[in-house]
Amino acid sequence: MTPMSLPIPVIETDRLVLRGPVESDFDAHAALMASERSRFIGGPQDRAIAWRGFSGSIGHWVLRGYGMWVIADKADDTPLGRVGFINADGWDEPELGWHLYESAEGQGVAHEAALAARAYGAAQFGLDGVISYIDPANLRSQALAARLGAEIERDGEVMGHACQVWRHPKQEAL
Amino acid sequence: MPLSFSPSSIPVIETERLILRGPEPQDYPNFKATFTSYRARFMGGPLNPYESWMLYAAEIGHWQIRGFGMWMIHDRDTDETCGMAGGWKPAMWPEAEIAWVIWPGKAGRGIALEATHAVRGYLYGALGWDTAVSYIDPKNLDSIRLAERLGAVKDPDATPVDGSDTVYRHPAPAALAGTQLAHGIEMEIGHYADPLFKPKGWAID
Repeated sequence: MTPMSLPIPVIETDRLVLRGPVESDFDAHAALMASERSRFIGGPQDRAIAWRGFSGSIGHWVLRGYGMWVIADKADDTPLGRVGFINADGWDEPELGWHLYESAEGQGVAHEAALAARAYGAAQFGLDGVISYIDPANLRSQALAARLGAEIERDGEVMGHACQVWRHPKQEAL
Repeated sequence: MPLSFSPSSIPVIETERLILRGPEPQDYPNFKATFTSYRARFMGGPLNPYESWMLYAAEIGHWQIRGFGMWMIHDRDTDETCGMAGGWKPAMWPEAEIAWVIWPGKAGRGIALEATHAVRGYLYGALGWDTAVSYIDPKNLDSIRLAERLGAVKDPDATPVDGSDTVYRHPAPAALAGTQLAHGIEMEIGHYADPLFKPKGWAID
């Protein structure tokens, strides 16, 4: 019963490695999804639903040809959060999404990871000028989106929740 | 361009009437039809479209994480999908499970029996499992009947997933090696292939 190795691409930045999920990342993901910090990304969720989202993020790569990476600390491979492209049933178009585990907040990790993922998606997947769905109350993610050069395009909805649709600049504009 | 991942590393299992392959993107609409319907009431459903899609993605992810998972059951003649059967072990499962689901329109032909018997043989043989359980909602009489036709018996000592399920223990590999039980299962599968023995009245998975 050996795990298979889906060839999810690996991206390196100064401090981070973006890589495919492995089972040892699950506890950090489940802890986030059980906490109030997940209220803007579909949580809080119990462990069973968190597992569906975690293992489903791997299947997302197979179904769509792109997906979410785990953001890992380059020094010791500790999972710090997730970043990448989401296009599940109900999405208008592929979204650049991000979330961090609590211990990784406040160090510019999400910014560094989102820049790298966005550039990779534009270059490799043809996902350029994508959107990000952000809860109107999620001020931290709005601040990051603005720092990434994205702008609010319209009010939208995903999974029945009202949200802002932010549009990222195309790579040639950066 | 988006990447293209080949599912070819998932083994193919063939039976008299069926071909079992890994879940593929084009099979999703049939999965969604079942899991967003009342048919899914004993499997955590009915699910909304997002939940259904994520569960399908999770079926695929399960293969990557565990090296085994749920096969998509195809009719050998038409290649239509009929349901899924295989091994299932999410993070919070006490033990590895043998699981099955048949699309409602395909029920009553013994497909679940034929497919599940085949995947159990693969999990025991090729993957070396020495035991397996099935976690079944006690109201799911069709699945309980199927578990019993497969020789599984209620295991009161086994830990359930969350207490709302009943644990059935499958016969060990030795109990299926050339035994009367194994012959009985194979005879039932063979007779399902014979329309003279097609059951009438209610759908039996």
